[in-house]
Amino acid sequence: MLLEVLNSVFSVQIFLFIILGVFTGICIGALPGLTATMGVALVLPLTFGMEAAPGILLLIGVYVGAIYGGSISAILLRTPGTPAAAATVLDGYEFSKRGESGRAMGISTVSSFLGGVVSVLALWLISPQLAKLALRFSAPEFFLLAVFGLSIIASISGNSLAKGVLCGALGISLSFIGIDGITGYPRFTFNNINLLSGMSFIPVMIGLFAMSQAFSTVENIFTPDQVTQKISKVWPSKKDWKVILKTAPLSGAIGTIIGIVPGAGAEIGAFVSYSQAKRSSRHPELFGTGIPEGIAAPEGGNNGVTGGALIPMLTMGVPGDAVAAILIGALTVQGLQPGPLLFTEHTTLVYSIFLGMFIANVTMLVLGLSSLKLFVKVLSVPKAILTPMIFVLCVVGSYAINTNFFDVGVMLFFGILGYFLQKADVSVSPAVLGLILGPMAESNFRRALLMSEGSYSIFVASPIAWVFVALTLVTLLGPVVTERLKKRKVA
Amino acid sequence: MRKANFIVSGTFTLFAIFIIAISLGYPPSNHGVPGPGMFPIIIASLIILSALTLFIFTLRMPKELDTTIDLKSKNVVNVYITMGGLVLYFVLLPLVGFVVTTSIMLILFIRWFSKRPWWKTILISVLFTVAIFLLFGSVLNVPMRFGLLI
Repeated sequence: MLLEVLNSVFSVQIFLFIILGVFTGICIGALPGLTATMGVALVLPLTFGMEAAPGILLLIGVYVGAIYGGSISAILLRTPGTPAAAATVLDGYEFSKRGESGRAMGISTVSSFLGGVVSVLALWLISPQLAKLALRFSAPEFFLLAVFGLSIIASISGNSLAKGVLCGALGISLSFIGIDGITGYPRFTFNNINLLSGMSFIPVMIGLFAMSQAFSTVENIFTPDQVTQKISKVWPSKKDWKVILKTAPLSGAIGTIIGIVPGAGAEIGAFVSYSQAKRSSRHPELFGTGIPEGIAAPEGGNNGVTGGALIPMLTMGVPGDAVAAILIGALTVQGLQPGPLLFTEHTTLVYSIFLGMFIANVTMLVLGLSSLKLFVKVLSVPKAILTPMIFVLCVVGSYAINTNFFDVGVMLFFGILGYFLQKADVSVSPAVLGLILGPMAESNFRRALLMSEGSYSIFVASPIAWVFVALTLVTLLGPVVTERLKKRKVA
Repeated sequence: MRKANFIVSGTFTLFAIFIIAISLGYPPSNHGVPGPGMFPIIIASLIILSALTLFIFTLRMPKELDTTIDLKSKNVVNVYITMGGLVLYFVLLPLVGFVVTTSIMLILFIRWFSKRPWWKTILISVLFTVAIFLLFGSVLNVPMRFGLLI
């Protein structure tokens, strides 16, 4: 098996796709307004004609590169290229103000690499064990797993839980469209042939994440682009290395754990790592003034999420974040179903993904340290030209999935809807969780009742089921209890 | 934000009522196993509950915490014009063809957004369109020839 994996990954074609993916990802991440999710969604159509391994590794390359690339504009322009780099702005820009942007970039590059490597190791060690456990799941456990995943909406809803639940429920509602998998009854199809096979979720995601973002960019399209700084001396000094080696691996581990939690993305990973580093520091007051820990922690943390997010996705078909949700789409297009069976039926592919992700992180390190000046130049590409091109990529990407103009209409509709939802401060991430986990919850709920002939006790019949019930209760009640405890302390 | 919250809760409530109205017409549960309408009704009820919660919280929201949403400024009107342009592009695309429609769409948007000289705008637009046409049409084998022209 090892030889097969090495044969599969160590080919010129795969290497080129990984390098291309990481390069594209860094460029996308560096440009403010283009997120990692948007980048992966835009590149996804290119993988339709490819074999599974190069296609998935191209997307993983984009993912890894974009999460790191966000730090470039965060450090240079005080504008995070992706939401994942928002925490990097706090200390990163202070370096630039002192004329040390090269040093900040070096710390960011090495920390991102270390965070990414920790997450790949976790992916490698945890996934096979989790997949073995998941093989013992049947319909009730999968239903409770999906409910647990959906309960995460409570913690990713931003400012309003009600709005998060509304958006999550919207996602689930979309999954009802099409022929019912159990009875064969057409639901919400309105005699439209395009709706019979259900709502293709890739156009929905391209619309919600890429098109809506492009519309938001149009709001400031006439604002002149910012001038970038010159970069020098990227390689970290001995003193910085010490800080990086102390901070980044731990942040990577924190990011990995956050990545494993369904729905929690790189942005949360970066902020939690940053606050953890601040709490454990002897000089917490120096955070925000431009210290190496202030870059190493969030950058290790956000790249730590990348591998973590793939763990529930590959082992149970539950996305760790929005990008993992798109990767589920990419695997499905290839005729592969993420879940425990992927580890038994497509073992070589799974381990090729692990090894390929490690290579993607090495590529990121090499490109980051050697070609930063080139990536900084990308920042000068005017958004007035880039934004219309993104419109075209969204349209072609949606069309290419089923060569169907209906999907383009769906993408455009959700692009417009996503723009207005953003305006109303409604996070669109819960919709993705709902769209993916909704069908999993419904089909397994009904299958379980079919197995038990209508008895609901099947949902608490196994220890695994109890674990999921407990996790769901902790997730739902945790924020409420914490809030009450805080209020009591203040009183 | 108060106004936006009221619109969000109202729209979602109407959406949920629509789901329930349709789901009630689906086959009922059979021997304790839920029919195709049960889950949509559960989710629609959840939507109504959340929309109601949002409505009540917004009513109780102190006026000083209220923020305004920009829906009428010149910048936002530009977004509406862009959306309109893209809807028109979507309608014309299958009728006219990819290369012609996309080139014209790009020329108009880039010229509007960047005020670059016409020749530069046309060159960038046509080159990008042809590159995408060849990449998807020839390399990825996506059928890109449709419409009256190309």
